Amino acid sequence: MEENGCKIYTPLGPEFAQMKLSQGLQKLENPAFKLITLGAVIGIWQLASIYYNNTLLLPPPLKTAKALFLAVQDLSTIKNLLLTLRRLLMGLGIALFIGLTLGFVMGYSRTLLKLIDPVVSCVRQVPMMAWVPLTIVWFGLGDGPTHFLIAMVGVFPILLNTVAGVQSVPKSYYHAAQSMGAGPFSLFSRVTLPASLPNIMTGVRIALGAGWMSVICAEFIATSAGFGFLMVRAQTMMETPLLIGLMMLGGVVGYSMDLLIRRIERRITRWRFVE
Amino acid sequence: MELNVTNICKSFDNGGVPKTVLRDVTFRVHEGQFVTLLGPSGCGKTTLLTIIAGFQKASSGEVRINGALVSKPGPDRGFVFQDFALFPWMTVRENILFPLKQQRMDRKEQNERLGTLLAMAQLEGAEHLFPSQISGGMKQRTAFVRALAGNPQVLLMDEPLGAIDQQMRQTLQEELESLWSKNRTTVLMVTHDVEEAIYLSDRVLVMSSQEGRLLGGVRIDLARPRKRDDERYHLFKSQLTDMLKSAFKQAVSSKGE
Repeated sequence: MEENGCKIYTPLGPEFAQMKLSQGLQKLENPAFKLITLGAVIGIWQLASIYYNNTLLLPPPLKTAKALFLAVQDLSTIKNLLLTLRRLLMGLGIALFIGLTLGFVMGYSRTLLKLIDPVVSCVRQVPMMAWVPLTIVWFGLGDGPTHFLIAMVGVFPILLNTVAGVQSVPKSYYHAAQSMGAGPFSLFSRVTLPASLPNIMTGVRIALGAGWMSVICAEFIATSAGFGFLMVRAQTMMETPLLIGLMMLGGVVGYSMDLLIRRIERRITRWRFVE
Repeated sequence: MELNVTNICKSFDNGGVPKTVLRDVTFRVHEGQFVTLLGPSGCGKTTLLTIIAGFQKASSGEVRINGALVSKPGPDRGFVFQDFALFPWMTVRENILFPLKQQRMDRKEQNERLGTLLAMAQLEGAEHLFPSQISGGMKQRTAFVRALAGNPQVLLMDEPLGAIDQQMRQTLQEELESLWSKNRTTVLMVTHDVEEAIYLSDRVLVMSSQEGRLLGGVRIDLARPRKRDDERYHLFKSQLTDMLKSAFKQAVSSKGE
C-alpha cells in the first residue's frame, strides 16, 4: 500500500495466509472430525507400509509409535529437545528486542521508516537457508548460527507487525490522552503499546512458528547437538521409525507452543476476547 | 474561568489554492456557561474546537484561558470526542481513572473521585466492563465523566451525540443535561442539531459555512430542565433554523458566483 509515497505496512502476504488456515482449522472443534481424519491417515499409512513392506522406506505406524515412545523416555532426546528450545527462546529474544525497537521507531517516524525500509525490504527477500554457510563462517558450528537464524526469521514478522500496529493507532487516542494530562512516556506506555499489542502478538506468533521450523533446519547443518541433529543422526543410522517418530514429536511441540502463545495472547489482550 | 477566542483564522493549502475554513472568529465563554457552536456540516466548527483543544494550530489569532495562551493539549481542557475515543484496552473504571493517575492523585482520593463519578453517571456495576461490552449511551456517559474526572476548566464536546441514533438522542440529551447540572462545568459544544443546541445551551453561536464566520449568537433563557413542547422553545427553534438556512443560502450563492 502506498500513501503519500510512503510505505504503509500491512501484515499480509504468506504469513497471513498461514494464519487464516490455522484460524479456519480452529473452527472444526468437533472432536469426531479429528478422530475420523486421524484414523483414516493412520489406516492409509498402515496399508501403504504393508504394500511397500520396507521398514527403511516406510515403517508401519505401530513400529513408529514404539520408536517414538522409546525416544521420549530417553534422557538424551529430552536434553537435545530442551537445547533446541533454549536456542529458540534466545533467538526469539533477540528478534523481539530488535523487532520491537525498530518497529516502534519506524512506526513513529516517517523519516526513519523511509530510511530503514529499503534495507528491511531487501534483506527480507534473502532465503533463510542461504544465510547458513555465512553464519558458519561467522560463528562456527554450535549455538551461534542457530541463534542468528532464528533471530533473522523472527525479526521481520515482529518488526512489520509492530510498525503496522503503531501506524494503526487512531490519532484521537493520543489527543484524548494528552487532554487528560499524559506526557510522552504515558503516551507510549499507556496508549501506543497496548493499542499495538494485538498486532505485536500476531508477529510474535508467526515468529515463533517460523523460528521453530528454521531452527531444526539450521541444526541439520550447523551443529552437533539439538533436535534437528537427532533427526539427521536417525537418518544416517537408517532408523526411519525413529526419524518419523521425531518428526511427529516436532509437530506436537510446535502445536503446543502455538497453543501456549495463543493463551498468552488471550491473557494480555483480554479486551479483544470478551463477548 | 474565562475562555477568550480572538480573531481565529485557519486556512489549508488545498493543492496550491488556499482554502479558508475559519475567518476572524471571536467570542468569549464565561464561567459555568453551556455554549454551543451550531452550524451546517463543513463550516469549520469542529476545526475551531480542536484548535481550542490544542490538537492543531490556528493560522492566526489566539485562544486564552484565564489569560494564559493555549498552544498544546492540556488537562485544563477536557475533550469529549464524537466517537468517544475510550481506550478499548481499559475497562470503564480504568478509563475514568486515567486522568486521575496522570495527575498523580493519591490512591484514596482516586477511589473516592471514581466512586462519585460512577454514581453520577449511573455506571455502578459496569465499571469492570470493557467499552466493547457497553451500550452507546453508557459509552457516552463514560466519555463524559472521564473528561470531567480531572476537573478541567472547560469541557469541549465534539458532537457528543453524533454517533447515536435519532430515537436515543433525545433521551441522551436529557441524561447529559442532568449530568451537567450536577456539575456545572463550563462547556463548549459543537453540533449541527438545532434541537440539541436549544435543549442544552445557555448560548448558541451560529456559524456560516462560507469561510467559517460567526453569524451571531442567541441567548436561550429557558428554565431547566427544558420542556420541548414549550411555546418559547419552538420560537427559539424556528429562529435558529432560519439563521441556519440563511447561513446555508449564503454559502450556496457564494459558490454559484
